[in-house]
Amino acid sequence: MSLRMFRVISTAIVALALTQPAAFAHDQIGVAGGLFSGLLHPVTGIDHLIAMVAVGIWGAQLGAPAIWVLPITFPLVMAIGGVLGVLRIPLPMPEVVIAVSALVLGVAVATRLRLSFPVAAVIVAVFAVFHGHAHGAELPGSANPMAYGVGFVTATGLLHLGGIAIGTLTRWPAGERVIQGLGAGIAGLGCYFLAQGLGAIA
Amino acid sequence: MKLKFRRGWIAAALLLAQGGAAEAHIVAARLGDFYMGALHPFTDLQDVILWTATGVLAGSLGASRGRWLILVFPLGLLVGLPLGRIFGAASAGLADAAMMLAIGLMLAAATRIPTSALCAISFGLAVMRGAANGADLGPDTDRVLFAAGLACVGYTIITLTMALTVVFRGTESDGSAPWRTIAVRALGGWIAAIGLMMASIVLAS
Repeated sequence: MSLRMFRVISTAIVALALTQPAAFAHDQIGVAGGLFSGLLHPVTGIDHLIAMVAVGIWGAQLGAPAIWVLPITFPLVMAIGGVLGVLRIPLPMPEVVIAVSALVLGVAVATRLRLSFPVAAVIVAVFAVFHGHAHGAELPGSANPMAYGVGFVTATGLLHLGGIAIGTLTRWPAGERVIQGLGAGIAGLGCYFLAQGLGAIA
Repeated sequence: MKLKFRRGWIAAALLLAQGGAAEAHIVAARLGDFYMGALHPFTDLQDVILWTATGVLAGSLGASRGRWLILVFPLGLLVGLPLGRIFGAASAGLADAAMMLAIGLMLAAATRIPTSALCAISFGLAVMRGAANGADLGPDTDRVLFAAGLACVGYTIITLTMALTVVFRGTESDGSAPWRTIAVRALGGWIAAIGLMMASIVLAS
């Protein structure tokens, strides 16, 4: 690289760095902060993320009516858990149940577990309440709560839809294997979080 | 010379990238209160979600039932606006959450409510939100201009949302994909979930 080019690039980098506004990191405030926190919360918690995606994949594997009932009812059931969390009504061992949810849903995806729709719906609903409880209990104090709710429901719904989209790979034999591998990975991560929740590992 | 030219381009590009919105003149002068009324609902998430939900509900019921809202909704806003001075914005949170939950559940369940019920719901909602918007008015605000702006934007949002929903859903005869109906119902589920969360937040605060 010529010296001139080096100077031009370095000038650009320094100028860009000097003209950036403040980051306002950490403390998410106001409507934008609430929306941002709500959108990020389900995505940044890996235990939540894998469970939400697994629900979508399992719904796609189960087919109708699960594939269309779950996107409609899941955020609502999760919001019931969120209500319990916001109202500070405790649930037993929430971290352990959330880890178990990843493990169970991962195994269900990996083994293509075929349960009747009511049984599958009850399993998913119980887990949804615990996940929602965690989101509600961790509502940031400084952020706009309404915006947080909008962000959290939207992010959860999109993760769920993402899972359903991944689940459509089951139409192809190779895709089916990929999904089963993904389920096994989710179950493995669930085991890790369960061990962490029980205090077996730091 | 070539180096200076490049630096000049970089500086110009950086200046352009850093530029913010001008926010000049119009809101603060002459017809400013009209624009204030038109923009005010966009500053509140309750308005954005509830107005959109009402439009989607009307659109999901079809154009023949929903078209009454083009008149009813702005009228409700105008009726509610003066009530804002009397009741203020206090205690509207729980009512808004309940409305959000009810409309969301109706959408999620694909309930075919009659036209009269749809008009009553949307009129009640518009009165509530009109009062909430009116509660924020200062003594210097021209209320007629503000009301005109609010009614215009109410008409626009409801008509557009309703029309988009009607077009998106399509009709059974044109063989529209069933997933479109499911998408509208899923959106209803999301709106109901937001309403439920909001109700709990209001109750907890």
